[in-house]
Amino acid sequence: MLKPGEARAPGHTYQEAIAKDASQPPEAFLDYSYEFLGDQDIPYTHYTSHDFAQSEMEHLWPRVWQMACREEHIPEPGDYQVYDIGHLSAIVTRTESMQIKAYVNACMHRGTALKPPGDNGYCQNFRCPFHGWVYSLDGELLELPEDWDFPHVGAGTHSLREILVDTWAGFVFVNFDREAESLTEFLGVLPEHFRDFDIADRTIETHVCKRLPVNWKAAEEAFMEAYHVKETHAGGRDFSEPVTTYDVYPKNVNRFIHTVGSVNPRMAVPPSEQELMRALWGRRGPAEGDCPIVPEGATARDVYAEVIKKSLGAQYDMDFSHYSTAQTLDSIEYFLFPNFFIFPGLSLPMVYRFRPDPKDPDYSFFDLYFLRPTDSAKLQSPPPEPLMLDVQDSYTLAEGLGFLGAVYDQDTDNMAAQTRGFKTCAKGGQTLGNYQEVRIRHLHQRIKEYVEN
Amino acid sequence: MVTSDLEMDALASDSRKVIQHEGFCILVCNTGGVHYAIENRCTHQDTSLDEGRIRNGFIACPLHGVRFDLKTGQPRGDLTRIPVQTFAVKQTGDRLLVQMHKADPHNEATT
Repeated sequence: MLKPGEARAPGHTYQEAIAKDASQPPEAFLDYSYEFLGDQDIPYTHYTSHDFAQSEMEHLWPRVWQMACREEHIPEPGDYQVYDIGHLSAIVTRTESMQIKAYVNACMHRGTALKPPGDNGYCQNFRCPFHGWVYSLDGELLELPEDWDFPHVGAGTHSLREILVDTWAGFVFVNFDREAESLTEFLGVLPEHFRDFDIADRTIETHVCKRLPVNWKAAEEAFMEAYHVKETHAGGRDFSEPVTTYDVYPKNVNRFIHTVGSVNPRMAVPPSEQELMRALWGRRGPAEGDCPIVPEGATARDVYAEVIKKSLGAQYDMDFSHYSTAQTLDSIEYFLFPNFFIFPGLSLPMVYRFRPDPKDPDYSFFDLYFLRPTDSAKLQSPPPEPLMLDVQDSYTLAEGLGFLGAVYDQDTDNMAAQTRGFKTCAKGGQTLGNYQEVRIRHLHQRIKEYVEN
Repeated sequence: MVTSDLEMDALASDSRKVIQHEGFCILVCNTGGVHYAIENRCTHQDTSLDEGRIRNGFIACPLHGVRFDLKTGQPRGDLTRIPVQTFAVKQTGDRLLVQMHKADPHNEATT
């Protein structure tokens, strides 16, 4: 008799599937780190209640590390990026000595926000538009107009309030809690698991920010499991059902990785490798010419990975020969609590950031980035302006998303329905699968630790 | 008010020039090989824009950081909702024609 959480889908595991690849996957991909975290329902009030949202705003968001921007958003002194979370706002900037610093986005005079929400730009110093108090890029109060009236004010007491800032893999993270643990501690296994990827050398190619009609946690949950793929993205067809591993790491990291282009072990009559190849061809990334023939003894996965590495290598003028088949093809999604997702894979290079809408727990904001590999030695272009989409706008308006635009529509189409259902469902909470939905439980477990502490 | 167009030499890539013409202070810039011309005056608090950083087709006011789209003049953010005036630029060889004929100089007003 299996204990709760011990059951697995029939057939092979993800780790067993990729062990058959021609190239050796990164060690971390072969790791199993599932843990049964309980099977109680998650109360719907955690999504719908203003009180719960307020509690998150008081106890969670001011105390956690959050991705504010990429380093490429602020390449030169005076460049800045505003990061807003609920009622909190931070300015992240580059100082004259090329240091990255972050400040609370409020003048020390009468509290006026120095920069508008989400703003990205350049200034020589931070100058309040109300009375003209001026702060250096290092946050020091430089100019105090009519200082005869302020004998009680000086740089020692009225410089900008600095908050914690640190970087990892080209991302700039901030934390409003000056006593918080270091980013390195917060990241846990992430740096080790990303050893075989060059994320710092990637650059933003596409950025779409959409308002979603669902609580931020439910929005994240839509991307935390591959259980929905068969219904939401494939109309119930078996063929695309991926083999997935779900893993939870202390304290803030979890992941799924699922195969692309391997045989689904649940099919009664499995397709041939050539049939798999035909299904893959042209589906992801560029495909020119005739569909390759899979040689006897080889797999469609390995053949297709080679094609992708070569075509992306030519497109970006880079060498990807060191990427394994799994790194090249698979959907590799890591989550850093509370709101950051990163896909280090070569053909699915996404980053997600979710934030609550402070005015309404039924809404949230979803920043979706595509990062492209880039040769850091070559000239880099600045990141694109984000395309802002409202609830009703289709992701297909964002050209940079390619065929994935329609896929993101499928994901987000469920959200308004879920918000409505939360409020009419008599059961009182979400029921979760023990294995495939463990990441959702992990998210709620961490939130509980902050909210109740 | 009809004003005469401005003729001038094309600018080197990623350079800019401030020109007084027909009552306007005009900022002409070449960013990434494309020329733009705007009035050199931030609509937020009346500062010259010519020392602002240009990136991604936007110029950032050096005073408070308001960014204006060089093509449309539209500002980003909520510090001002007033677009900066833009002028069409036509390039023929090494020469530019900055089209002023629909322009009206701003009336000074104090609130």
